Order: sequence, then C-alpha cells, then structure tokens
Amino acid sequence: MKKLIPLLLVALLAMVACTSEPVEVTRVVSEIVEITRVVTETIEVEGVSVEVTRVVTEQVVVETAATGPGVTPLNAPDVYGLPRNQMLIVDILTGRIGSPNNFNEWVGWKWRDRGMQNLANEPLWSVDFATGEIINGLAAGDPIYNDDFTRLEIPLRQGVAWHDGTPFTSADVVFTVETLMTTSGLNAHTFFSTNVASVTAPDDHTVVFELNQPNSRFHTTFLDRWGATWIMPKHIFEGVDDIVTFEFNPFVGTGPYKLHSYDQSGFWTIWEKRADWDKSPTGILYGEPGPKYIVFQYFANEGAKILAHLTHQADVVNLSSDGLKAVLAQSNSSRAYQLSYPWVVNNDPAITGISFNTMIAPYDNPDVRWALVLAIDIAQYVGIAVDGAGTVSPVHIPSLGSYPADFIAPMQEWLSAFELDLGNGTTFRPYDPDAPQRIVEYVQNRGFVVPEDAAARAQAFGLGWYKYAPEAAEQLLIKNGFSRNSNGMWLLPDGSPWVIRIQTDPNMATDLHSRNAVAAAQQWKAFGIDAEAVPSEARSTLFQTGDFEVSSEWPAQEPWGAGADLYRVLDNWNSVYVKPIGEVGAHGGRWSSPEMDAVIEQLRQTDPADYDAVVAIGIEGLKIAVTEMPSIPTFGYIGFIAWDETYWTNWPGAENPYTQPYTHWGPFKYMTPFLQPTGR
Amino acid sequence: MKVLRDLLRDYRFTASFIILCILLAYSSLSFFSPIDPTVWVAIARDQPPSSQHLLGTDSRGIDIFWSGAFAIRNSLIVALVAGVVSRFITIPVAMLAGYKGGMTDRVLMFISDSFLVIPLFLIIVLLAVLIRENLSLVTLGLLLACFGWAWDARVIRSEILSLRERGFTQTAILSGSGTMQLALKEYMPFVTPLVFATLINVMAWAIGLEITLAILGLIKLDIPTLGTMIFWALSYQAILLGRWYWLLTPVILSVLLFIALYWLSVSSSEYLDPRSRIQRVGQSLRA
Amino acid sequence: MLFIRRYLIPRLIQYVLVIFVGITAVFFIPRLLPTDPVARTIAELRSRGSYLDPASIDAMVADLTEMYGLEGSSFDQYIAFWQRLFRGDFGVSFFQFPTPVIQLIKAALPWTLGLLLVTTAIAWTAGILLGGVAGYFNRQGWSRALDVLAMVVRPMPYYVFAFILLLLFGYIFPLFPVAGGASIGRQPSFSWPYISDVLRHAFLPAMSLIILGVTAWFQTMKLVVQNLNAADFVQYARFGGIKERRIVSRYVIRNGMLPQITALALLIGQIFSGALITEIVFTYPGLGTLLYNAIMTGDYNLIMGITVFSIVAITTAILVIDLLYPLFDPRIRYN
Repeated sequence: MKKLIPLLLVALLAMVACTSEPVEVTRVVSEIVEITRVVTETIEVEGVSVEVTRVVTEQVVVETAATGPGVTPLNAPDVYGLPRNQMLIVDILTGRIGSPNNFNEWVGWKWRDRGMQNLANEPLWSVDFATGEIINGLAAGDPIYNDDFTRLEIPLRQGVAWHDGTPFTSADVVFTVETLMTTSGLNAHTFFSTNVASVTAPDDHTVVFELNQPNSRFHTTFLDRWGATWIMPKHIFEGVDDIVTFEFNPFVGTGPYKLHSYDQSGFWTIWEKRADWDKSPTGILYGEPGPKYIVFQYFANEGAKILAHLTHQADVVNLSSDGLKAVLAQSNSSRAYQLSYPWVVNNDPAITGISFNTMIAPYDNPDVRWALVLAIDIAQYVGIAVDGAGTVSPVHIPSLGSYPADFIAPMQEWLSAFELDLGNGTTFRPYDPDAPQRIVEYVQNRGFVVPEDAAARAQAFGLGWYKYAPEAAEQLLIKNGFSRNSNGMWLLPDGSPWVIRIQTDPNMATDLHSRNAVAAAQQWKAFGIDAEAVPSEARSTLFQTGDFEVSSEWPAQEPWGAGADLYRVLDNWNSVYVKPIGEVGAHGGRWSSPEMDAVIEQLRQTDPADYDAVVAIGIEGLKIAVTEMPSIPTFGYIGFIAWDETYWTNWPGAENPYTQPYTHWGPFKYMTPFLQPTGR
Repeated sequence: MKVLRDLLRDYRFTASFIILCILLAYSSLSFFSPIDPTVWVAIARDQPPSSQHLLGTDSRGIDIFWSGAFAIRNSLIVALVAGVVSRFITIPVAMLAGYKGGMTDRVLMFISDSFLVIPLFLIIVLLAVLIRENLSLVTLGLLLACFGWAWDARVIRSEILSLRERGFTQTAILSGSGTMQLALKEYMPFVTPLVFATLINVMAWAIGLEITLAILGLIKLDIPTLGTMIFWALSYQAILLGRWYWLLTPVILSVLLFIALYWLSVSSSEYLDPRSRIQRVGQSLRA
Repeated sequence: MLFIRRYLIPRLIQYVLVIFVGITAVFFIPRLLPTDPVARTIAELRSRGSYLDPASIDAMVADLTEMYGLEGSSFDQYIAFWQRLFRGDFGVSFFQFPTPVIQLIKAALPWTLGLLLVTTAIAWTAGILLGGVAGYFNRQGWSRALDVLAMVVRPMPYYVFAFILLLLFGYIFPLFPVAGGASIGRQPSFSWPYISDVLRHAFLPAMSLIILGVTAWFQTMKLVVQNLNAADFVQYARFGGIKERRIVSRYVIRNGMLPQITALALLIGQIFSGALITEIVFTYPGLGTLLYNAIMTGDYNLIMGITVFSIVAITTAILVIDLLYPLFDPRIRYN
C-alpha cells in the first residue's frame, strides 16, 4: 500500500504537468499589412442607384499564425500547424466517419459529405435549390435526347483536370459507366446494367449513351442532389483488380480542393485548395476559392458543438431548433440564415410529414387518412414541432423556390373547391388559405416579430393548409363505422380501441421526423385517439419492409429542387414498385392508383425541359395525391445553421441567396469563391 | 417504537428519514396532479419559476413541478424493483455457493459468470430496443434486476468464503444446524451491511442506467422519469439557454433521493450489525 | 497435483464454457432485432436524398445479402462464424463496408484502453485509500465531510456532470479543448508534442470518470472498513498497542480491499465495451460509440468482433482473480 501512494502522486503530477507544459503550437502573430481590394458600392447618381467598383488600398491588422514554442497553447485554436485565418471549419452533418480510410463512393455508404461531394468532387450537373438553377459541372450543357428518349448525348466541359494533373476527358465517363455495368457490388450496378445498352465517346468532350428502353430522365443519375453517380478517374481505377474493396485513398477528384489529411478515428478531414484550382469547374465558373483549408469536423453532441462554435473553433454548425436559439443568445459574432425570425433555412427542397401504410386497415381508407388530416390544428402542430418556424404546404411538394409559383398558387382554386363526402349527403371543403395566418398569430403570441409584407409572410409560412375541423373528421369516421366509447376515445369499426403508434427516430428532440411524430401524436390524442410517438432505431428498415402502420417518414419522395419536373416525386408512387409487406421496397407507404400510373406514364413521354407540359402534368399528379392523401405533407424541411463571421463573411443568407446555404450539399464548392476572409 | 427511537439517535438516519418523507410526499402529489405530464403546450412554454408555476415550465409547455413529482415516483419504482428483486436472487445464490462449495458453487458461479461476461450494456440496449414499446417502469426494473444480481452474488460469496474459514461455522455444524438456517443465522448478520451496501449500489446503478438509457433515447420518452426529464432538458439546450430550473430539478431530485437511500442504509445496517450495535450501546452508556 | 485436478481443471472448463455461452448469446440476440443490415444500408443511401432508381432495389437487396454473407439460416451463419473465428477472421463491417472489423477495433481500442485503464486504476486506488482511512477514522469531522461530499457528487447524472465540466473548462475558462482525442490535423506519433496533446484532450474525460469513480469506491470501501473496525483482530490490534497507521494500512485496508478486488477485475474486463457517454460528451474516440452504432445499424460482424474481445477479457479477469485470491486472502484455501 505504501508504495501505491507515491505512485499515485506521480501519476497525478504527470496529469497536471501535461496540462501546463508548453507545447509546440500555432501562435497567432499580429502584423500590419497593406492590402488592395476591389469594393463594390451602390451610390446614388441623380436619383438612380448605380453600382460602381473601385480599388482601395488600406492598412489592416492581420493575424498570421507562426509555429513555434508557444506560451499560451491553451487559448490558441486547436489547429495544428495550419493558419486558422485561412481555414474554414465546418461540422459534418452525417456524423463520425465510420471508414475514414475509404473514399470509394461507388460502394456502400461513405460519408460523402465529409468533403468528397461538397469540395473535392465535381458531378456532371448540380442542383442549386436556392437559385433554382442546374449548374453545369463536368458537363458543358444540357443532355440532348433523341425523340423517343433511347439515345442521349452529353457535352463535357473542356479544360478540366483531375487534381493530380491528368486531364478529364470522355474516356473517364465511358470507363465509369462500363465499370458500373460490369461490376456487381457497386451501388449503381443494377441501374446501369439494366438501362444502358452502350456508351461511346465520339471525341474527348462528348459522350453518347444508347439506352435499352426509353428513359427521358436517364441523365438525372448524374445530377447531384445530395448524391449522384460520380465519374471515376480512369487512370487510377483501370489498374485496380477488385474495385469493390479498393479504398481509393487518397481521393482523386476534379473539385477545387484536394485531400490534405484525415483522422484515423474519423473525427475530421482536412481539404486543401488545389494549386491548379483553375482546372476545376468551380474555378472555371466562379474563380478562386477563398479558404486555403477547409476542415470537416465531427461533434458527438450538440452542446459541445455549440461550445466549439462560440469559441470560434467551428465556423459553420448544423443545429437543432433550440441549439440555434442558444447560439444566437450567446454569440455576438454568429448569424443565422435569416437575420430575423424565423432565422432558419426554410428553402430545403424536401417536405416532412406523416406516412401511412396504405396496405393496413384502417389506413387503406382515404376517408380515415383525411379524418386524421382534419384532426390536426396546423398552427398548434407547427408550434409543437418547430415553434412556428415551418413553411406549410397543402400538397406533396415543399412550398419553396419556384414550387409555390409553378404549382401551389395555380392549384389554389382547385384546392378551395375540393370537397370531401362526409356521408349523410353533406360535403365539406377542407382547404384553408388562411392557415398560415393562424401560424402567424401563434408566432406573435410567442413574442416573435413577423414581417408585415404579405409576400414575405407567404414565403415564411406558406400559401395554405387544411382547416382544423374535428367535427368533419368525426363525421368521416362515423361514416366508416368508427365510434367513440364512453370516455370519448375512438374505437375502430370492429369495436376495439384505436391505437396509433407513430414510428420515428430515437433522437426525439432534434430530428424533424420525430418532431412531426410528437406533434401528430399530441394532436390526435386531443382528438380522442390513443396516439403515441414511438422511437425506433429500425424505423427506416420497418418503413421499407412495410412493418408499420403510421410513420414519420418523408411523406413523398423529394423533388429535384430545381426546374418544374415532378417525375422524381410522382414516379415513386408507381404501382410497379409496390411490394408486399415484408419485402424491401422503394415505396414504404405502398400506395398506388391507376390514375397516378397514367400521369407517370404521361410524364415519361414528356421532355423534362418542356416547362408548360411538365407543370400541367405535375399538377394533375398532385391533385390525385391530395384527393387520396396517401400521406400527410406538413411543413418543409428546416435547416438550423449558424455561421460565425469571425474569420469568414459573405455567407449566402436569405438577403443574398447567391447559392444554397449548406456546407453538406454538393454546391458548397461553388460557395467557396464567394467567402471573404475578415483578415483576422 | 424503541427501534425507531434508537435509530433516530443517529443524525444520518434522522436526516435521511426526513428527506425520504419529503420525497415520498412530493411523489405522491403526482396522484393529485392537475396536469397530464404527457400533454404538450397546454400552458405557456419557457416560463421561469413563479407563484403559478413553482418550478417554471419547460420548452414543451409542461409544468416542471408536476412532472418532477411524476419523475421521482417513476424513477423510485424502477430503482426499487431492480434493487429488491435482484436481492432475492443475489442472497440465496451467494449463500448457497459460498457455504456449500463444490459442484453447487461451480454451477452457480458458472451461471452468474455467464451473466457477467456478456457486455451488460450491449444486452440492455438490445433488449431496450426490442421491447421498448412495452417497456413499462416495472419491466424496466425487472430487466435491470436480471442483470443486477450477478456481480453482487460474487462479492457476497467471497465474503462468505472468508467467513467460512473463520472457524465458527464448524461449531455451528457440530451443534446440528441445517444449511439455510445456519446460513441465515450465522452469516446474515455479517453480510447484512454488505447486502445493504450492494442494494444501494444497485439502486444507484438502476437510477443511473435509467438516466443513461433515457439520454440515448432508449426508453419511452414521454413517461416522466428523472432520466427523461434530463433528456428533454439537455436536448432543448436548457443549460445554454439559461433554463437552469428545468435541468436542476431532476438533478437535485436524484441527488436527494440518493442521499436519503445511502444514509438510510448506512445507519440501519450499522444498527443491524450486532458488533457495532454493542459498540453504540457502550457509547450511549458512557454518554 | 490435487490442486490441478480438483480445482484448476474444472475451473478452466468452466472458463471455456462461459466464453462459449456468452458468444453464442451475443450471436443470436442481435438477430432478433428488427433492424436489417441490408435494408439499413439501402435506407442510408436513400434517406439523404440520393437517388436510387426504385426499379433497381430488388437486385440491390440480393447483391448486399450475398456480399454481407447473410444467406442461409441463422444456424448456417453461426457455423460459418465459428469457422471464421478460428481462423482469426472477424469479417467485414456491413455499415462500413468493406472495412474489416479488426481494422475498426484496432483504431478504437488504444483510445479506450488508454483512457479507461488509467482512470479505473486511479479511481480505484484513490477510492480504496480514502475510503479505508475515512472508514477507520469514521468518527472524525473530516471523514464525515468527505462522506457528505462523496454522497452529493456520486449521484450526479454522469452526462450532466461531464457536460458541466466541459462547459466550465472548455468554454467559461477555456483551458481544455471541447472535442476530440487529439488536435485537428495532428497525426499520431511517438513524440512528446503528440502525447501531451493527447493527454490534454484526455484530461476532462479522465477527470469526469475519476471523480465519479472515486466517490463510488470511497463509499463502498468506507462501509466495509467501518464494519471491520469492530472486528476482533482490529480490536486486539488496538488493545495490543499497535500504531493506528499500521492498523489502517496492514489490517483494515488490506482486509476491506478483498471484495473490491473482484469488483475491480470485473470492471477492467468491462472496459472493452467502452465508455459510451464519455465518448459522446467529449467527442472522444473509442469502442463505446463503435459498439453502439453497430447495434443501431445491425452490423452483426462488428458487434461480434467487439463482444468477443469483451467476453474473453471479462472471463479472463475473473479467472485470474479466482486463481490469485489466496494470495490476497490467506484464509481461503482450494478444497
């Protein structure tokens, strides 16, 4: 025992010593330098605003980093050997990288938002949902289809090189497609082997596909909307024996950044700006990226993430609703996407809501699904879920970008006239164009300031939703043989209690699926149904195999986020994808209808670029979905992000949405040239 | 009555007795609660403590004072079920194994070792995931009891092994006592403090594990317990948003609960232990 | 020889049996879960908005089932599992496909061992010593003060306690980093800058584990020792005029320690399942998160890989303690 005491003391001393020991660190040194920059200003000339550009020279204090034996290692940011003020640190959305050594995106799930899709790789095209544009990356323009959609030609961008200097050509595309067609075990193998008859390269910058059957949307597999088919560098992959187990380390891409280093535990990945960034599509399109280094870092809990953000150790963080409030309350250097309430990113092209398994009674009955819609007070619902910050949509696409103008506004008349048959000869018009106004009242009661402008309100809260009509819901249910017991609780037609268990994710507080589930459960409980949100790790499995009754899964497949083509949304309801319960299917809700199949078929034969036709058919599809209500669309997906402006400014906020605002989406690379250093 | 008077002479017993009474009274208030702690936004959210809401309201619009009453009751149920039920397995197993030795010992220790070696957390997480929908407070307590006995059985068995070597067992055997009788009569006084200590450990462990499971989202989150209260407070960033009353309530409640249990067990096991009892009597005589 | 035949051999058979039963149980229980690794992989690819052609999902399910080795009944897979295990092959992780399980464990193990071995040892030693001394002098003021302190600190919910440490020393007094096992950009090496960087990152996680660990050992030990105070041999020692210091160290602590050694052995064995909450609060690398994520994604091979390590470690720790017990407690003989 006696021997243990000094041992313990030594151990304790060692622990203490290592905390005060000066270590080699990055030291911040201030110096005054003269810089020249281009300033754009708006000035008034004879009552007209004119933009002028002028060159200014000024002296600023620049803090540069020097490596050496520092004396204050504990306060310096934890960025070993790399200058903090040339570095951007963002948090990785999908969490800790499970396989940090493996960059082979073509096999399994590889945490592609660690910087692979958003910095180091360029797709053929990208969706930018903020501008509604399709950005040409490796492609030089739109694909050119033949008349019956069995052949297409893709023009490729010239002057692009992989970051190791090898030029990017059509040979890379041909190699990629042929490899995908022949190698089973690659994610896209089945798609390419069933769709593609042949792929050829008439010249270095053109690729021609011959398809097995007509497919007017074949090219969208190369369109990056949080993932796409990527092009392999032929000169690396052609020597690989087993592509499935190949680690592709280091990653070789055509993006403006290249791999610098990464953590063996998967906590961080550092990317460095290419010296020849002008050989990447980003550089060609938008010029030189700002940050020299971009770090993707993982935080295992939101509290630590916020602390890192507040201490300027993470510039961009993805948060929960309350996490964002905490940041805005504690920080004076951070901003959110919007500068005032509701602060959040509300133009994400996805709609959240509640899904039903339409193969299981009573959810196979549209009347029952509609009754559940009418039992929801959308203002309270959005209040419970996201404190009023949601943009509601009455149809199965989100109310953002061009969708309100293209679809939801033209549908107002139809929606207002839409009637439900309540039985006993009465009908009911469920649509309520003033639903957003009810949300505005909720928000004002909470003490938040709401814009007065009607257009701004419509953008923030949506164009309309459905009435809160428990009486109508009651009649719909009674019409179908439901009844209430003596306590006022609902009974199924067979007389047993109606129990709804809404499957959702385990992280009940932060996840929008769960917030929908909780809000729906609260609403239906108030209506007299034994409803409860039930978290399950297996939610996604159970949804696909149909082993659920009600789930908070996406109510519909997400639209592209750019253009007016709703093929992606509607085709998911195609009856050929419906699987019996127990089998994995693309379509968890298992709803289909001959009318919808007809709409899908019509859309397949329409050129996606034909705006008028695509919108008209899309509206028909949305009408069928509203009539049948296979799932309940509620509010658009909300992103809670905070940007620290200590080191970098000119973020694409709501007042200046030059590109989509996320760092985890592919077009983040197109944001980098616009980020401006503060010089600190 | 004399027992209680003797016990109350110990300040620790008095203190824990009072705390426990207060906690029990508080938790029994839940039976008369004016609110349903599973209904959101029935009242204003994020209200600081006031005369209307003694401990304020949380970000879900639920009164913290009342959900605290439910939480302490529910966590106590889990801890008691886990602690008491597991003692019913631990004590007989340890006594039999330690006293009988040989084959009995080997079989019993084989069973308890099998429970011990499977990573406990893995199994509890797996089972919680599997039966979460039906995971009531009692089932959670029983689940924890199933895994809370094996460790203590080993500890108590070692104590009995060492007691057995102390000679007095031989005399007892010679005087013709039966196994269980002997075990209870001869060993129980000596292992009682250990039983109490392990009981408190198991209850503290059960409360702690309930909190851990809740923080990971593995139990029903709309039943108020100490764990689920902490879960919601942490997920809604109560600390960084300055809503201290929300997080502090379950934390202080669990500290108080533990203090009451700990002192209660310490003072009563000292009281039960024949040797320190003599000591105390001697002291009180001197005084 | 009697010892070997009557004690050691049956004990070793028991050792092997326990390992077998443990591994078998862990093989089958995860397969009861509704989480299916194939569906989980497809869901992961789809859930983030990447476009899998709905028509190609059937073929993908078949491909993945084959690649993951999930064809055939559970029993076939069980036999295949033992065959692979005897070759020392744990297979590949499903969710981190095709990374070998052993590679994932190798990356996480040093962090877990480094943090948990050190903190467990410090917490145990400090708790036993403090608890022993405080238990012997249990009537003194400082002993009671320590008791109250331990009593208040111990029941603090670990997550909250750890997060408050992080808030205090990572933000309000920014002395320590708020996340990670080492600084961003630093690669592992056997150099002082790296080691000190790791120690600095480990400080808060270690403190959170040590402080709560000490209080638990302290309380248990104090109770045991208080009880020993009345034991005959202590009384005799006192009457015999042996110095108190000697009584404490030679008789009281030594005897009170015995049950704690068993507990320590078990705890060291359990280290191999990691410290999940510590890893979550401090964003610290280790086996806890690895195992937890494996459970949540139905990554059977990874669950088995970690669990086999853990089961063997715990069983061995128990075996060693059983064999060594007579060294600590001469009163116990093998019969």
